[in-house]
Amino acid sequence: MIPSRRNFLVGSAALAAGASVSVPFFLPKYHSVRRAKRSRVAILHVEEYSQRIDQVLASGLRLFPIDVQDKTVVLKPNLVDYIPGNAINTHPILVLAAAESFRRMGAKCVIVAEGPGHQRDTELVLSQSGYRESLRDEDIRFVDLNRDELIRTQLCASFMGMRSLWLPRTVLEADFLVSMPKIKAHHWAGVTLSMKNMLGVVPGSRYGWPKNILHWKGIQESILDVCATIPVHFVIADGIVAMEGNGPLNGTARPLGKIVLADDPVAADTTCARLMGFEPDRVVHIREGAKFLGNLSPALIDQVGEIPQPPTTPFQVVPEFRHLYAL
Amino acid sequence: MWQCDYLPFEPTSASHQYRFLTGERFHIKSAVVKNDCVVLSNVLAELNRRQLPSGGWAALRSSAQTSLEPTCLAALAIGSEDSDAVRRAQDLILRVQNPNGSWPAFFGDDQDGVWVTSLAAIALCDVARAIPARLRGIGWLLKCEGKESNWLWKWKFRTVDRHVRFDPDKFGWPWIPDTVSWVVPTAFAILALSQLPCSCGGLEDIPVRVDRGIEMLIDRACPGGGWNAGNGVVYGSALAPHPDDTAIALLALGNRTQHPVVQISVDWLEQTTPTLTAPWSLAWAVLALAAHGRAVGSLITSLTALPDVSANDDTCTLALVRLAGDCRRALAALGMNL
Repeated sequence: MIPSRRNFLVGSAALAAGASVSVPFFLPKYHSVRRAKRSRVAILHVEEYSQRIDQVLASGLRLFPIDVQDKTVVLKPNLVDYIPGNAINTHPILVLAAAESFRRMGAKCVIVAEGPGHQRDTELVLSQSGYRESLRDEDIRFVDLNRDELIRTQLCASFMGMRSLWLPRTVLEADFLVSMPKIKAHHWAGVTLSMKNMLGVVPGSRYGWPKNILHWKGIQESILDVCATIPVHFVIADGIVAMEGNGPLNGTARPLGKIVLADDPVAADTTCARLMGFEPDRVVHIREGAKFLGNLSPALIDQVGEIPQPPTTPFQVVPEFRHLYAL
Repeated sequence: MWQCDYLPFEPTSASHQYRFLTGERFHIKSAVVKNDCVVLSNVLAELNRRQLPSGGWAALRSSAQTSLEPTCLAALAIGSEDSDAVRRAQDLILRVQNPNGSWPAFFGDDQDGVWVTSLAAIALCDVARAIPARLRGIGWLLKCEGKESNWLWKWKFRTVDRHVRFDPDKFGWPWIPDTVSWVVPTAFAILALSQLPCSCGGLEDIPVRVDRGIEMLIDRACPGGGWNAGNGVVYGSALAPHPDDTAIALLALGNRTQHPVVQISVDWLEQTTPTLTAPWSLAWAVLALAAHGRAVGSLITSLTALPDVSANDDTCTLALVRLAGDCRRALAALGMNL
């Protein structure tokens, strides 16, 4: 049968309509690939929070070819809330040690910046968790990202289906951004590490406390979109005392005795997940992030310092995330 | 000389009117009063200094981006309608209203509207030229509801998603549209709607929405009293209350003084407040405790004695310190007329 002109046009239109519906599912949701050819991760052994962290961290940072000369360095700790006895926040001693190291390395300015997720009184969290006095004593500027000036920023990935977010100027203008997470199990995301920590830059003054729109758009998807848009240049993860179970607030303190340094957030989170006893590629944002943000494969990660060993007993998680456990 | 002129009161009925009970007045030692007075004057001067050419205020001292929450709170803190600063702030608030009646978080924001709509309506209360704009804002608030009010999400929260303990039938207001209800935006909306003198002319839903919002606040209190950001129990763990969230919820529940959840929450806040060293939470706590008839004279002195309080980087905090220092007028501005 010879197709008529009419049949040909109808068929072409149907094909075009079908393609327009199905192609987006197969196209990548990221706009560019930022993954380095190789990544470097260092695991440092530190038993407790003490002044010794200064030296350990400084020698750990020397394992990386970091150039912060005359740059503005922004340290983004994980500062959520304060509950006495709970290992919720990145410890201020580690943040101060990082600030001191980057200053010694020639940074023009070191800023500590964070936007707590559901505590509106940032000053109260700073005060209760020991940050306020420490930062004042060391003359380190703190910027409340929940209330910083905002700039509409086109997202560099489209996992959550939003084109843009209002993001804080301090983070967007940073020359060198350091994600400083607390290593924790998380009841909505599975884990909260260097990539999840970046959701703290989304401003409460625009999106609320908590930034509930990110939950509705999908936490894993939000993490990927934010990390695609705001490059993390370095990671210093606090795993000296980590958290397992019902994190990020009400879990149980879990002494791990580790600080993880990395020049790649995906590689950092891969290593942290292994230290927790999880299979990294079962964490959605790590697996998807490995396609364009960083490296997951051990063959592409130069491991310096200690070799990551899974713990004898893996971290506890809520039942929905038991699939993360390595077999 | 400045005095903390504090008058306890309690509600007469389910309406949002308050009846003056006693005229207890705190006589504070003159040296302390002088210090309070100086600090509060400095705070006021600093607020005036920070007003931007737009007529509004930025959230942080270092910023030039006009933001609605600090603008509304600063306008309330400065107070006098005769003031040029307040008039310019009101003009700004009127100028940036979204076409749908809501208000944006800051100048230049998208036009969907956010939680500051309630604060804008409160800041424009008693401003005759703002009545149409305020009514449009109230209309938007009445249409805005937490996502859990939809039958589909209600069903989800009842059946497959039960990790957060709450009753989805009791909903209030979200921070931004298309999200669920949270404590602070719900409390602000209750305060804004309760300031309306009547619920007629298209505003008939006000009593129902206010009552439902109050039910939501009661439902979502923490087990030991007080409020966290939105819920009291997640994954079986009781959440710790936040002083500021608790205080703001208690302001909205100013006419539910006898409710056991309110009583236990006021007690919790009263015990916690003397330990607070952050002015934002302390100032909100002063206002809430005053609204529930508790003594606040020494707390105001603690607030003004905090180091560098008049140089605080956060403009909302400055405005709140000023409001707490004059809590009788502040409560009146929030609709708790004596």
